[in-house]
Amino acid sequence: MSTAIDQQVVTFQQQFRKVKEEVSKVIVGYGEIIDGVIMSLLASGHVLLEGVPGLGKTKLVSTLSDVMHLKFSRIQFTPDLMPADITGTNMIHEDTKGEKFLDFQPGPIFSNIVLADEVNRATPKTQSALLEAMEERSVTVGKRTHKLDSPFFVLATQNPLEMEGTYPLPEAQLDRFVFKLKVDYPTVDSLHTILNRTTKVEAPKVNRVLGQGEVLEMRKTVRAVPIARPVQDYAIRITLATHPKPPYAHPLTMKYARYGSSPRGAQALVIGGKIRALLKNRVHVSSEDIRAIAYGALRHRILLNFEGEAERIDPDTIITGILEGTPEPA
Amino acid sequence: MSDKEIIIKSLERVERRIRTNRLLNELALGATYFLAFPLALKVWDLFDPLRGATIAFIAGIWILLFAAYVVWRSLYRATLRQAAAVIDRAAGLNDEIKTAFWFIHNPRPSEWVDVQIHRASISAKRMNLDTFFPRRIPKTSYVAAGLLLLFAGLNFVPLPWNHNWLALQAAPAFTLTPDEAAILKQSEALLRKAEKLKQPELAEKLEEIVQQLQEGKIDAAQAAQMLDLLQSLLDEGNLDAASIREGLEEMARDLAESDKLEPTAEAMKNKELNLAADELRKLAEKLGLNTPESNKQMQKSLQQASENPRLGLEELAKLLKEAAENLKNEDQQGAQQSLDEAAQELDSLEERLQSQELKNLAAEQLQNLQQSLRQRQQAGSQQGRRGQQGQAQGQKGQGQRGQRGQQQNDQAEGLQFGAGTEGEPTDQAGLDSQAGAPMPGNSEGNGLMPSGKGGSDAPREGAATTLDVKLQQERVKGMQDQGKEENIEEVSKQERSKLDYRNVKSELSPAQKDLLNQDRIPWEYRPLIKNYFQAIRPPDKK
Repeated sequence: MSTAIDQQVVTFQQQFRKVKEEVSKVIVGYGEIIDGVIMSLLASGHVLLEGVPGLGKTKLVSTLSDVMHLKFSRIQFTPDLMPADITGTNMIHEDTKGEKFLDFQPGPIFSNIVLADEVNRATPKTQSALLEAMEERSVTVGKRTHKLDSPFFVLATQNPLEMEGTYPLPEAQLDRFVFKLKVDYPTVDSLHTILNRTTKVEAPKVNRVLGQGEVLEMRKTVRAVPIARPVQDYAIRITLATHPKPPYAHPLTMKYARYGSSPRGAQALVIGGKIRALLKNRVHVSSEDIRAIAYGALRHRILLNFEGEAERIDPDTIITGILEGTPEPA
Repeated sequence: MSDKEIIIKSLERVERRIRTNRLLNELALGATYFLAFPLALKVWDLFDPLRGATIAFIAGIWILLFAAYVVWRSLYRATLRQAAAVIDRAAGLNDEIKTAFWFIHNPRPSEWVDVQIHRASISAKRMNLDTFFPRRIPKTSYVAAGLLLLFAGLNFVPLPWNHNWLALQAAPAFTLTPDEAAILKQSEALLRKAEKLKQPELAEKLEEIVQQLQEGKIDAAQAAQMLDLLQSLLDEGNLDAASIREGLEEMARDLAESDKLEPTAEAMKNKELNLAADELRKLAEKLGLNTPESNKQMQKSLQQASENPRLGLEELAKLLKEAAENLKNEDQQGAQQSLDEAAQELDSLEERLQSQELKNLAAEQLQNLQQSLRQRQQAGSQQGRRGQQGQAQGQKGQGQRGQRGQQQNDQAEGLQFGAGTEGEPTDQAGLDSQAGAPMPGNSEGNGLMPSGKGGSDAPREGAATTLDVKLQQERVKGMQDQGKEENIEEVSKQERSKLDYRNVKSELSPAQKDLLNQDRIPWEYRPLIKNYFQAIRPPDKK
């Protein structure tokens, strides 16, 4: 009994490690980002990568799709991109008898892994086309709803610097991302490795190590990990502390936040905590797991008020305050 | 043992260990804080000794508080859930035990939960209690022990005013000064020597008075009164030693006229009454060998000596007279017996005179002690008055007048004890008397009571005395001032009294009223007369 569970945990860790190792062949120095992206995939969620151009965000996603036996598509978001360009559209076709009929031509969203590159460059209308797909895992065109394949995983990237000609993602859409990962500039050592790898004749090759079924199996394993009520209570208290209203509000959120996290934030904390627990060879979620996940899970769910924006408060600062101010479960 | 039992047992063990360590820490810390208090009190005691009752009261409260603290802290117990959290933190188990404990109490049909509990039980089993929760003597216990030693040490500091609380010693309610203690010791010794007076209880009474004073049962004033009483007891049956000595010398002169009685007379003259008694006894033994002439001479001398009427020598004179008569009657045996009895009386007299000297010395010492106590009592009351005056500073008017009156009172007291008989009636003195102070020159010095002989006729005796201070001119109500005259004539807003002033109840005593009726008024009573006439003076007419 316990041997089977233990084996399941070990398998999970091995598969995770394999994917990470393969991705790390191409992507250098972003161990935590790679972990976050894989965790988002296993958490049945989507991930938003934020970083300046040229840091390998797109490369990371494309590499991830390469190491998995999953269908991958990339959508470059531009201001003139239309929703139909993403979801697909009904096309008029003519059969052999010469009769015309409407046939649905699926868009790039019909993949397992979708890279929504520079998602904030598209208009809100186009961005909202992603909403249904991301949450409902389905696309409605005309009167017909088309189910998306499972797993369905959206990796969106955005550039935090260029604000001109961009359309910041609305709160509702931001909330659909399970994690928001910040891609920082690589270290000197990492840059050396990057240069060494990318300036050679031979480009690094990756192997496909994970199939669709294995991903789904891993997702099941994640959800089986138990969490005790006190730890879950801790996750809830942290989530509620992001709200500016008492009784759980932290002083920083009261001062700088307009809105806090939705229940999706708490879900992200718990599910992320479960994945982290498995990776740490544990079969229970600890408060440390919750704390480790908190930044990725909550930073895009805290909406700053005018004062916060004016003082350029980083949501991570608020989260640090919340984590310090929320006592661990006794 | 199942996984659940292992976890629970471990938690119980940890809880016990945590409780023990916590209790040790808290008790040591509590003891440190609590010991600081008696220590501070002991330091205070070194500068301002505390009484036994005060120490006992504070110590009682201290013990009660500390006992309550110990009980309170001992009753506190952490829950097993808290113990689980502590283990997780100490052993870095990432909420493993805590989660397992929660699942034990909230079971779920899940293999994952079972695995989690199993893993937690293994961790609990592996956990070494002494590694994560070692038994340690808290550092604060050393501080507490140090404070305890310091406290004990302070009790044994060899200072004369230090009292060892550990030996249940404390400062007496009243502390005698070294001089007073010496006087007391001498007085006691003298009184004990005077046991021959058959008044041995006097020493015990003295001891009792001092003990009561030190225990705070009586104050210095009461002690002085009791010493006064003791002194009066000592005075009971006092001999007039000087008169007796004089009488004995006169007797010796009479006896010296006889050759046979000369050695006796010489001894009596030298105040050696025992020797005189021995000589008298020798003379009595050899009486038969004397010639009739010498016996006649002896009879004459004895007769002359017996005629001394001094108080205290009556018995001796009587016996000498008997001896003279027996010699006259040629009753040799009777004369011998009378002389022997006279010798015995001389021995007894010597003894009584010695005792009297001891009594006098003891009385003198007691008087010194009494005076010392009275002085301290006065000093204490003056301090008290100063304190009251300080409190009354904020109150104007009456408060200031009262203070001035008090100062006058003090001045009057000074006069009373200092130059009592040399006082001169002055207006200032009148003011003093109005304020209810004793009259200057009154050696008894008690309000309006008659003064001693020195003061009664003071203005008529010798040259008038002067005071160094310039007396304030007192203006009598209605008297014409040198400056601007201001006569206010107005009908009283209040109705005149319908009572004749003769019927107004007087506060004067009958003796004072009687004095007022006399023609010759003692000068001390003149302010009274002045007040009287001021009171009955009719309003000035325009």
